[in-house]
Amino acid sequence: MARTFLTRGAVAAVGLALAVGLAGRPAAAALDTVIGAQDVVKNEPLSSCNTKARSALGSALGKVYEMGDTGQWEGIGAIDAAGNSFAAAAIHCYPIDDVTGYLVTFTCATQSPPATESASVLCGKLAAAFGGQP
Amino acid sequence: MTPFARRGALVALGLVAALVWSNASAPASVDISVGIRYLSPTGTLADCSAKAKDSLNAFLAGSVESSPGSGEWLGESANGVAGTPTAMAAVRCYAMPKGYVVTFTCFAQLPDNPYTADALCKDVAHKFYGGTITALAAIPTPTPLPTGCATTNLLGTWTSDDNPKLTFTMDVNGDLTDSDGVSGNWGLKGDTVTLTYYGNHTLTLSSDGKHISGVGYHLTRKC
Repeated sequence: MARTFLTRGAVAAVGLALAVGLAGRPAAAALDTVIGAQDVVKNEPLSSCNTKARSALGSALGKVYEMGDTGQWEGIGAIDAAGNSFAAAAIHCYPIDDVTGYLVTFTCATQSPPATESASVLCGKLAAAFGGQP
Repeated sequence: MTPFARRGALVALGLVAALVWSNASAPASVDISVGIRYLSPTGTLADCSAKAKDSLNAFLAGSVESSPGSGEWLGESANGVAGTPTAMAAVRCYAMPKGYVVTFTCFAQLPDNPYTADALCKDVAHKFYGGTITALAAIPTPTPLPTGCATTNLLGTWTSDDNPKLTFTMDVNGDLTDSDGVSGNWGLKGDTVTLTYYGNHTLTLSSDGKHISGVGYHLTRKC
Protein backbone atom coordinates (compact mmCIF):
# COMPACT_ATOMS: atom_id res chain seq x y z
CA MET A 1 0.00 0.00 0.00
CA ALA A 2 2.76 2.40 1.02
CA ARG A 3 4.70 1.42 -2.08
CA THR A 4 1.68 2.12 -4.30
CA PHE A 5 1.23 5.51 -2.69
CA LEU A 6 4.89 6.39 -3.21
CA THR A 7 4.74 5.24 -6.82
CA ARG A 8 1.71 7.40 -7.50
CA GLY A 9 3.37 10.33 -5.82
CA ALA A 10 6.49 9.90 -7.90
CA VAL A 11 4.49 9.65 -11.12
CA ALA A 12 2.54 12.80 -10.26
CA ALA A 13 5.80 14.57 -9.43
CA VAL A 14 7.13 13.68 -12.87
CA GLY A 15 4.05 15.30 -14.39
CA LEU A 16 4.55 18.35 -12.21
CA ALA A 17 8.21 18.71 -13.14
CA LEU A 18 7.42 18.22 -16.81
CA ALA A 19 4.75 20.87 -16.77
CA VAL A 20 6.83 23.38 -14.85
CA GLY A 21 9.56 22.84 -17.38
CA LEU A 22 7.11 23.31 -20.23
CA ALA A 23 5.50 26.39 -18.78
CA GLY A 24 8.76 28.01 -17.78
CA ARG A 25 8.86 31.39 -16.17
CA PRO A 26 7.43 34.36 -18.05
CA ALA A 27 10.36 36.44 -19.25
CA ALA A 28 10.02 40.20 -19.15
CA ALA A 29 8.97 41.52 -22.53
CA ALA A 30 10.94 44.41 -23.96
CA LEU A 31 9.92 46.92 -26.62
CA ASP A 32 12.47 47.24 -29.42
CA THR A 33 12.18 50.16 -31.84
CA VAL A 34 14.32 51.21 -34.75
CA ILE A 35 14.48 54.06 -37.21
CA GLY A 36 14.77 52.20 -40.47
CA ALA A 37 15.80 53.29 -43.92
CA GLN A 38 14.99 56.63 -45.50
CA ASP A 39 15.13 56.86 -49.27
CA VAL A 40 14.26 59.24 -52.06
CA VAL A 41 12.96 57.51 -55.16
CA LYS A 42 13.15 59.62 -58.29
CA ASN A 43 10.89 59.57 -61.31
CA GLU A 44 8.16 57.52 -59.72
CA PRO A 45 4.72 58.74 -58.71
CA LEU A 46 3.51 58.77 -55.12
CA SER A 47 0.98 56.10 -56.04
CA SER A 48 3.87 53.75 -56.65
CA CYS A 49 5.10 54.31 -53.11
CA ASN A 50 1.64 53.62 -51.76
CA THR A 51 1.30 50.41 -53.71
CA LYS A 52 4.72 49.19 -52.61
CA ALA A 53 4.11 50.18 -48.98
CA ARG A 54 0.85 48.28 -48.86
CA SER A 55 2.42 45.21 -50.41
CA ALA A 56 5.57 45.26 -48.25
CA LEU A 57 3.65 45.66 -45.01
CA GLY A 58 1.15 43.02 -46.04
CA SER A 59 3.84 40.47 -46.80
CA ALA A 60 5.91 41.19 -43.69
CA LEU A 61 3.20 41.74 -41.10
CA GLY A 62 -0.26 40.85 -42.40
CA LYS A 63 -2.65 43.64 -41.53
CA VAL A 64 -2.19 46.99 -43.31
CA TYR A 65 -3.93 50.32 -42.90
CA GLU A 66 -3.49 53.70 -44.54
CA MET A 67 -4.19 56.69 -42.35
CA GLY A 68 -6.81 58.33 -44.52
CA ASP A 69 -5.47 59.15 -47.96
CA THR A 70 -2.15 60.43 -46.68
CA GLY A 71 0.48 57.99 -47.87
CA GLN A 72 1.13 57.05 -44.27
CA TRP A 73 0.85 53.33 -43.71
CA GLU A 74 0.93 51.10 -40.68
CA GLY A 75 1.25 47.35 -40.50
CA ILE A 76 0.35 45.09 -37.61
CA GLY A 77 1.81 41.63 -37.04
CA ALA A 78 -0.13 38.45 -36.42
CA ILE A 79 -2.74 38.82 -33.69
CA ASP A 80 -2.97 36.07 -31.10
CA ALA A 81 -6.10 34.59 -29.54
CA ALA A 82 -6.11 37.29 -26.87
CA GLY A 83 -6.07 40.07 -29.46
CA ASN A 84 -2.43 41.01 -28.97
CA SER A 85 0.13 41.74 -31.66
CA PHE A 86 3.86 41.89 -31.06
CA ALA A 87 5.18 43.66 -34.15
CA ALA A 88 4.24 46.87 -35.92
CA ALA A 89 5.75 49.15 -38.53
CA ALA A 90 5.12 52.41 -40.32
CA ILE A 91 5.94 53.42 -43.87
CA HIS A 92 5.61 57.08 -44.71
CA CYS A 93 5.39 58.18 -48.36
CA TYR A 94 5.74 61.86 -49.21
CA PRO A 95 5.91 63.48 -52.65
CA ILE A 96 9.10 65.30 -53.62
CA ASP A 97 8.25 67.59 -56.50
CA ASP A 98 11.74 68.65 -57.54
CA VAL A 99 12.74 65.08 -58.39
CA THR A 100 9.29 63.99 -59.55
CA GLY A 101 9.47 61.28 -56.97
CA TYR A 102 8.88 60.60 -53.34
CA LEU A 103 10.44 60.23 -49.91
CA VAL A 104 9.87 56.93 -48.13
CA THR A 105 10.77 56.05 -44.55
CA PHE A 106 10.50 52.86 -42.50
CA THR A 107 10.02 52.74 -38.71
CA CYS A 108 9.54 49.48 -36.82
CA ALA A 109 8.88 47.99 -33.38
CA THR A 110 8.72 44.50 -31.97
CA GLN A 111 8.16 43.13 -28.52
CA SER A 112 10.42 40.28 -27.57
CA PRO A 113 9.42 37.86 -26.26
CA PRO A 114 7.22 36.63 -27.86
CA ALA A 115 8.36 38.24 -31.13
CA THR A 116 11.26 36.28 -32.53
CA GLU A 117 12.80 38.98 -34.69
CA SER A 118 14.14 42.40 -33.81
CA ALA A 119 12.75 45.69 -35.03
CA SER A 120 15.89 46.11 -37.11
CA VAL A 121 15.34 42.79 -38.86
CA LEU A 122 11.71 43.67 -39.48
CA CYS A 123 12.61 47.04 -40.99
CA GLY A 124 15.25 45.35 -43.15
CA LYS A 125 12.64 42.94 -44.48
CA LEU A 126 10.26 45.79 -45.22
CA ALA A 127 12.85 47.83 -47.05
CA ALA A 128 13.89 44.80 -49.08
CA ALA A 129 10.28 43.95 -49.92
CA PHE A 130 9.61 47.57 -50.86
CA GLY A 131 12.73 47.97 -52.96
CA GLY A 132 12.40 44.62 -54.62
CA GLN A 133 9.13 45.54 -56.25
CA PRO A 134 8.99 46.75 -59.85
CA MET B 1 -8.45 1.17 -14.87
CA THR B 2 -5.13 -0.48 -15.54
CA PRO B 3 -2.09 0.56 -13.51
CA PHE B 4 -0.58 2.04 -16.68
CA ALA B 5 -3.68 4.15 -17.34
CA ARG B 6 -3.80 5.21 -13.70
CA ARG B 7 -0.20 6.40 -13.84
CA GLY B 8 -0.93 8.26 -17.05
CA ALA B 9 -3.85 9.99 -15.36
CA LEU B 10 -1.62 11.00 -12.47
CA VAL B 11 0.96 12.47 -14.84
CA ALA B 12 -1.81 14.40 -16.55
CA LEU B 13 -3.11 15.62 -13.20
CA GLY B 14 0.35 16.84 -12.26
CA LEU B 15 0.67 18.51 -15.64
CA VAL B 16 -2.60 20.40 -15.29
CA ALA B 17 -1.90 21.38 -11.69
CA ALA B 18 1.51 22.75 -12.54
CA LEU B 19 0.32 24.63 -15.59
CA VAL B 20 -2.32 26.34 -13.48
CA TRP B 21 0.16 26.91 -10.70
CA SER B 22 2.81 28.39 -12.94
CA ASN B 23 0.38 31.29 -13.54
CA ALA B 24 2.19 32.83 -16.52
CA SER B 25 1.21 36.46 -16.98
CA ALA B 26 -0.58 37.61 -20.13
CA PRO B 27 1.80 39.15 -22.64
CA ALA B 28 1.62 42.80 -23.55
CA SER B 29 1.12 44.00 -27.09
CA VAL B 30 2.61 46.67 -29.35
CA ASP B 31 0.44 49.74 -29.95
CA ILE B 32 1.36 51.95 -32.92
CA SER B 33 0.43 55.49 -33.92
CA VAL B 34 0.99 56.76 -37.44
CA GLY B 35 -0.53 59.67 -39.27
CA ILE B 36 0.72 62.94 -37.91
CA ARG B 37 2.81 64.82 -40.44
CA TYR B 38 3.70 68.48 -40.58
CA LEU B 39 5.00 70.56 -43.47
CA SER B 40 6.85 73.72 -42.53
CA PRO B 41 7.20 76.19 -45.42
CA THR B 42 10.21 77.75 -43.74
CA GLY B 43 13.15 76.60 -41.69
CA THR B 44 16.07 74.24 -42.20
CA LEU B 45 16.78 70.64 -41.35
CA ALA B 46 18.73 71.89 -38.35
CA ASP B 47 15.68 73.84 -37.17
CA CYS B 48 13.56 70.71 -37.48
CA SER B 49 16.14 68.67 -35.61
CA ALA B 50 16.27 71.12 -32.73
CA LYS B 51 12.50 71.07 -32.37
CA ALA B 52 12.37 67.29 -32.72
CA LYS B 53 14.87 66.87 -29.92
CA ASP B 54 13.06 69.30 -27.63
CA SER B 55 9.68 67.75 -28.35
CA LEU B 56 10.86 64.25 -27.57
CA ASN B 57 12.70 65.33 -24.45
CA ALA B 58 9.53 66.96 -23.13
CA PHE B 59 7.86 63.57 -22.75
CA LEU B 60 10.51 60.88 -22.94
CA ALA B 61 13.67 60.09 -21.07
CA GLY B 62 16.12 61.19 -23.72
CA SER B 63 16.32 61.53 -27.46
CA VAL B 64 19.09 60.49 -29.81
CA GLU B 65 19.66 61.22 -33.47
CA SER B 66 19.99 58.01 -35.48
CA SER B 67 23.12 59.40 -37.12
CA PRO B 68 24.58 62.87 -36.75
CA GLY B 69 22.93 65.35 -39.10
CA SER B 70 20.29 62.89 -40.29
CA GLY B 71 17.41 64.79 -38.72
CA GLU B 72 15.92 61.49 -37.53
CA TRP B 73 15.30 61.29 -33.82
CA LEU B 74 14.17 58.55 -31.46
CA GLY B 75 13.10 58.98 -27.85
CA GLU B 76 12.41 56.32 -25.24
CA SER B 77 10.34 56.38 -22.08
CA ALA B 78 11.80 55.73 -18.68
CA ASN B 79 12.08 52.08 -17.70
CA GLY B 80 8.78 50.47 -16.76
CA VAL B 81 8.03 47.77 -14.25
CA ALA B 82 10.04 45.21 -16.20
CA GLY B 83 13.09 47.47 -16.24
CA THR B 84 12.90 48.39 -19.92
CA PRO B 85 11.31 51.32 -21.81
CA THR B 86 7.62 50.85 -22.63
CA ALA B 87 7.06 53.71 -25.07
CA MET B 88 9.06 55.22 -27.90
CA ALA B 89 8.57 57.98 -30.46
CA ALA B 90 10.33 58.66 -33.74
CA VAL B 91 10.43 62.15 -35.23
CA ARG B 92 11.88 62.19 -38.71
CA CYS B 93 12.78 65.42 -40.51
CA TYR B 94 13.43 65.83 -44.20
CA ALA B 95 14.60 69.03 -45.85
CA MET B 96 12.47 70.32 -48.72
CA PRO B 97 13.44 72.94 -51.32
CA LYS B 98 11.58 75.34 -49.05
CA GLY B 99 11.22 74.32 -45.44
CA TYR B 100 10.95 70.75 -44.25
CA VAL B 101 8.52 67.91 -43.69
CA VAL B 102 8.43 66.01 -40.41
CA THR B 103 6.65 62.79 -39.49
CA PHE B 104 5.74 61.36 -36.10
CA THR B 105 5.51 57.65 -35.31
CA CYS B 106 4.98 56.24 -31.82
CA PHE B 107 4.89 52.84 -30.16
CA ALA B 108 3.70 51.80 -26.72
CA GLN B 109 3.82 48.45 -24.99
CA LEU B 110 0.36 47.91 -23.55
CA PRO B 111 -0.79 47.39 -20.87
CA ASP B 112 2.61 48.03 -19.26
CA ASN B 113 2.70 51.60 -20.54
CA PRO B 114 0.14 53.89 -18.89
CA TYR B 115 -0.76 55.80 -22.09
CA THR B 116 -1.33 54.88 -25.72
CA ALA B 117 0.89 55.49 -28.71
CA ASP B 118 -1.70 57.95 -30.02
CA ALA B 119 -1.58 60.01 -26.83
CA LEU B 120 2.20 60.16 -26.96
CA CYS B 121 2.34 61.11 -30.64
CA LYS B 122 -0.24 63.87 -30.21
CA ASP B 123 1.71 65.43 -27.39
CA VAL B 124 5.06 65.19 -29.17
CA ALA B 125 3.59 66.64 -32.35
CA HIS B 126 1.76 69.42 -30.53
CA LYS B 127 4.92 70.31 -28.68
CA PHE B 128 6.67 70.49 -32.04
CA TYR B 129 4.27 72.71 -33.96
CA GLY B 130 1.90 73.98 -31.30
CA GLY B 131 -1.35 72.60 -29.92
CA THR B 132 -3.03 71.31 -26.83
CA ILE B 133 -0.87 69.12 -24.67
CA THR B 134 -2.47 66.54 -22.41
CA ALA B 135 -0.48 65.36 -19.42
CA LEU B 136 0.74 61.80 -19.77
CA ALA B 137 0.60 59.46 -16.81
CA ALA B 138 3.90 58.73 -15.15
CA ILE B 139 5.64 55.50 -16.10
CA PRO B 140 5.32 53.05 -13.18
CA THR B 141 8.70 52.43 -11.66
CA PRO B 142 10.07 48.94 -11.21
CA THR B 143 8.82 47.46 -7.99
CA PRO B 144 11.74 46.63 -5.74
CA LEU B 145 11.74 43.04 -4.58
CA PRO B 146 11.20 42.48 -0.90
CA THR B 147 14.41 41.74 0.89
CA GLY B 148 15.21 39.91 4.07
CA CYS B 149 12.95 37.08 5.19
CA ALA B 150 10.07 37.89 2.87
CA THR B 151 7.27 35.35 2.75
CA THR B 152 6.61 36.11 -0.92
CA ASN B 153 9.89 34.80 -2.28
CA LEU B 154 12.87 32.67 -1.36
CA LEU B 155 15.57 35.14 -2.42
CA GLY B 156 18.76 34.97 -0.45
CA THR B 157 21.14 32.46 1.02
CA TRP B 158 19.91 29.38 2.85
CA THR B 159 21.90 27.01 5.05
CA SER B 160 21.07 23.38 5.64
CA ASP B 161 20.29 22.78 9.32
CA ASP B 162 21.61 19.22 8.96
CA ASN B 163 24.84 20.21 7.21
CA PRO B 164 25.94 23.82 7.82
CA LYS B 165 28.54 23.52 5.05
CA LEU B 166 25.74 23.11 2.52
CA THR B 167 24.25 26.43 1.44
CA PHE B 168 21.85 27.43 -1.31
CA THR B 169 21.65 30.74 -3.13
CA MET B 170 18.23 31.45 -4.61
CA ASP B 171 17.80 34.25 -7.13
CA VAL B 172 15.05 36.31 -8.69
CA ASN B 173 14.90 34.09 -11.77
CA GLY B 174 13.85 31.09 -9.73
CA ASP B 175 17.27 29.53 -9.93
CA LEU B 176 19.14 28.03 -7.02
CA THR B 177 22.80 27.09 -6.71
CA ASP B 178 24.29 25.12 -3.87
CA SER B 179 27.72 25.63 -2.32
CA ASP B 180 29.15 22.95 -4.62
CA GLY B 181 27.89 24.71 -7.72
CA VAL B 182 24.99 22.34 -8.36
CA SER B 183 22.00 24.19 -9.76
CA GLY B 184 18.26 23.73 -9.52
CA ASN B 185 15.07 25.73 -9.30
CA TRP B 186 12.72 27.01 -6.68
CA GLY B 187 9.04 27.89 -6.66
CA LEU B 188 6.71 29.29 -4.04
CA LYS B 189 2.93 29.28 -3.91
CA GLY B 190 1.50 30.46 -0.62
CA ASP B 191 3.71 28.71 1.89
CA THR B 192 4.33 25.68 -0.32
CA VAL B 193 7.87 25.48 -1.61
CA THR B 194 8.89 23.43 -4.60
CA LEU B 195 12.58 22.69 -4.94
CA THR B 196 13.88 21.03 -8.07
CA TYR B 197 17.21 19.78 -6.82
CA TYR B 198 18.16 16.15 -7.21
CA GLY B 199 14.48 15.54 -7.91
CA ASN B 200 11.43 17.49 -6.88
CA HIS B 201 10.69 18.28 -3.27
CA THR B 202 7.59 19.84 -1.78
CA LEU B 203 8.43 21.71 1.40
CA THR B 204 6.89 24.37 3.61
CA LEU B 205 7.98 27.93 4.29
CA SER B 206 7.59 29.07 7.87
CA SER B 207 5.34 32.03 8.67
CA ASP B 208 8.36 34.22 9.43
CA GLY B 209 9.93 33.41 6.05
CA LYS B 210 13.07 32.15 7.69
CA HIS B 211 12.77 28.36 7.54
CA ILE B 212 11.97 25.76 4.92
CA SER B 213 11.18 22.30 6.13
CA GLY B 214 9.97 18.99 4.80
CA VAL B 215 11.09 15.49 4.04
CA GLY B 216 14.88 15.48 3.67
CA TYR B 217 15.36 19.25 3.88
CA HIS B 218 15.52 21.74 6.73
CA LEU B 219 16.92 25.09 5.65
CA THR B 220 17.36 28.43 7.39
CA ARG B 221 17.68 31.75 5.57
CA LYS B 222 20.31 34.34 6.41
CA CYS B 223 18.34 37.46 7.07
